[in-house]
Amino acid sequence: MKRHLACLAGGLSLALALTGCGKGSSSDSGGSDGRTIRFVAAKYDDDTQAYWTALIKDFESANPGYRVNLEVVDWEQMDSKVKTYVQTKQEPDILNYNKFSDFARDGLVHKAQDVVSPKVLTDFLPLFRQKAQYEGTQYGLPFISSARLFFYNKDIFAKAGIDRPPSTWAEVEAAAKKIKQAGYIGLGLPLGPEEAQAEFQIWAMNNGGGWTDASGKWAIDQQANVDTLTYLRKLTKDKVTQPNPETTNRKDVFNQFAQGRIGMLNGAVFMRKGFIDPVDEKLNYGVAPLPSKDGSTHKTLGVQDYLVAFKKGDGSNKAAVKKFLDFFYQKENAAEFVSTEGFLSVTKSAGEVLSSDSRDAAYYKPFVDALSDAEFAPTDDPAWAAVDGAVKQRIGTAVAGGDPAKVLGEIQKTAQKGD
Amino acid sequence: MLEPVLWLGPATLLILTMVVWPVIEMIRTSLTRVSSTGQSQGFAGVRNYTDLFAQGDLPGVLLRTLVWVVGVVTVTLVLSLGLAALLNSRFPGRRLVRWALIVPWASSVLMTALIWRWMLNNFYGVVNRLLMDLGVLDAPVNWLAKPGLALAAMMGVAVFVSLPFTSFVLLAGLQSIPAEVYEAARVDGAGPVRGYLGITLPLLRPSLVVAAIINVINVFNSFPIIWAMTRGGPGFASDTTTTYLYKLAFDNQSVGESAAMAVVNFGLILAVVLVYLRFVRRQEDTT
Repeated sequence: MKRHLACLAGGLSLALALTGCGKGSSSDSGGSDGRTIRFVAAKYDDDTQAYWTALIKDFESANPGYRVNLEVVDWEQMDSKVKTYVQTKQEPDILNYNKFSDFARDGLVHKAQDVVSPKVLTDFLPLFRQKAQYEGTQYGLPFISSARLFFYNKDIFAKAGIDRPPSTWAEVEAAAKKIKQAGYIGLGLPLGPEEAQAEFQIWAMNNGGGWTDASGKWAIDQQANVDTLTYLRKLTKDKVTQPNPETTNRKDVFNQFAQGRIGMLNGAVFMRKGFIDPVDEKLNYGVAPLPSKDGSTHKTLGVQDYLVAFKKGDGSNKAAVKKFLDFFYQKENAAEFVSTEGFLSVTKSAGEVLSSDSRDAAYYKPFVDALSDAEFAPTDDPAWAAVDGAVKQRIGTAVAGGDPAKVLGEIQKTAQKGD
Repeated sequence: MLEPVLWLGPATLLILTMVVWPVIEMIRTSLTRVSSTGQSQGFAGVRNYTDLFAQGDLPGVLLRTLVWVVGVVTVTLVLSLGLAALLNSRFPGRRLVRWALIVPWASSVLMTALIWRWMLNNFYGVVNRLLMDLGVLDAPVNWLAKPGLALAAMMGVAVFVSLPFTSFVLLAGLQSIPAEVYEAARVDGAGPVRGYLGITLPLLRPSLVVAAIINVINVFNSFPIIWAMTRGGPGFASDTTTTYLYKLAFDNQSVGESAAMAVVNFGLILAVVLVYLRFVRRQEDTT
């Protein structure tokens, strides 16, 4: 019974839950010949599975005898799935995930130099390579990146009588009120568990706040962060956001924006491909820098996902893993993934392939530009996983029933416990 | 000489591997420092327990678990008594109604919970649509975002999925009451109310006890309904101990603390079961 529940637990859809349980009990699929590897990929959208299936087919026909067993997992289940696999020693050979540092700390993953060729290693853009290091050694393989900018609906802005996107927080508030009067949701504010940490960081860093202080110590309860939440709380209480930000997930507001019901929000580069185009290709929207408290500087949040290669008992998987990773990082293959999913490239060669395709260049340019001095979540700190979890659960309550200073204090405690 | 081993061996082995070993493992984990990737980092003493009891959310979670269990089981039993009585009386189409009652049982709990989540959705939910069309509401209500409403809604779903089993246990109980007892009562001049209170309920007591205990354990351990509908949120405002211990492990990354919570959970269940055994034994003594 318990086991059954635990299986059900991970999956929110029955199908996923069932396949999950099946996989879990089929024990080690690594194979002893060292030519079969298991790859767990995150599901970015409906095209993800098709991309990997096709890529693996190409790989297997180019490398007879090698096999890749693919499992695609929805982001919503990813954390619990990965945790279960790692704790029960059923790690895949290759994992596509957004964290790597606690695996590196506990010596579970290969160094980057051991699983890709030097050519690939030098192909990673320095910004991302640096963020893939733990204590000076690169363990994570940069996979995709994303940048966040401010999206606004031009038609709604016109109806509400706003002539340009807001640059300061005061302007955001004023615009949100006007949009509400025009009969739309002023600001989309997703502080539900899916990506609350990103939404919070976007607002906090544009108020001079953030996760750590200047010396790199956790400073989640700093005054700038309290002020940030107080501001967001006020917007919520004035009802210019969608109802109940604390339970609204990012994909909910992205969908609402695509349907033309939300005036403005912190968007992401993949929003066009993943949300707007499938619903309404003619949606009249603009992209602007993220608003900041005083409007003088505008910081961007960068997000990077990784591939990591887990060590297996005798190291027999290393050759096959390396073959597959080198295959994926060939510029056409990597570029195709990035353009299929609407992300930004993390390698020079794939970036060049993409920028030669001028159709999309105009849309992607501001994101690429913003990325060069973007701030990232501290994924290279092993305590981040716990902080991330605590923020996702708690931060939203600060704009609902909770008190911002107290909520941040609780998260700070979690962070220090992990040190 | 070996015969008893032959008879008792398989069952003992089963209990040892399936029950005793996991319990030992759980207690051991709760006394261990476990890193976020699941590596053991040595003996932790009672640190996991002190951390757990220092969590500001724990009292609320425990209280909510009590409300959840008592509320769901009580409502389920009351409704099931009515349903069982209905199904026990003769009326045309009874067979169909009995079949229909099995449906919530046969369908997956997770699916039922998911369907309710969508029906209660703020933006697209059919419940808001219906109430607004009827003029009951002016604006949509975000049912699952308000802790009180969310808990009530989830308890509703929990009752819904518990009804079939409970009704059938009670129906079986009703059918085992001999008709002569009622006839005798009628001859003695007892009305329907007197008959129900004086004969049906006392004779139904064994079935009621079984239904109550099994429901308490099921509802206490219920995970999918809460997880699918609110994930215990906002914050921890609709968590019970079962979802809370999951979050401790998977969101807070503190496996040891989660194991400590599991031990506490186990203790609570054990207490309930002991009370039950006592209760049953006393009943056996009186009859």
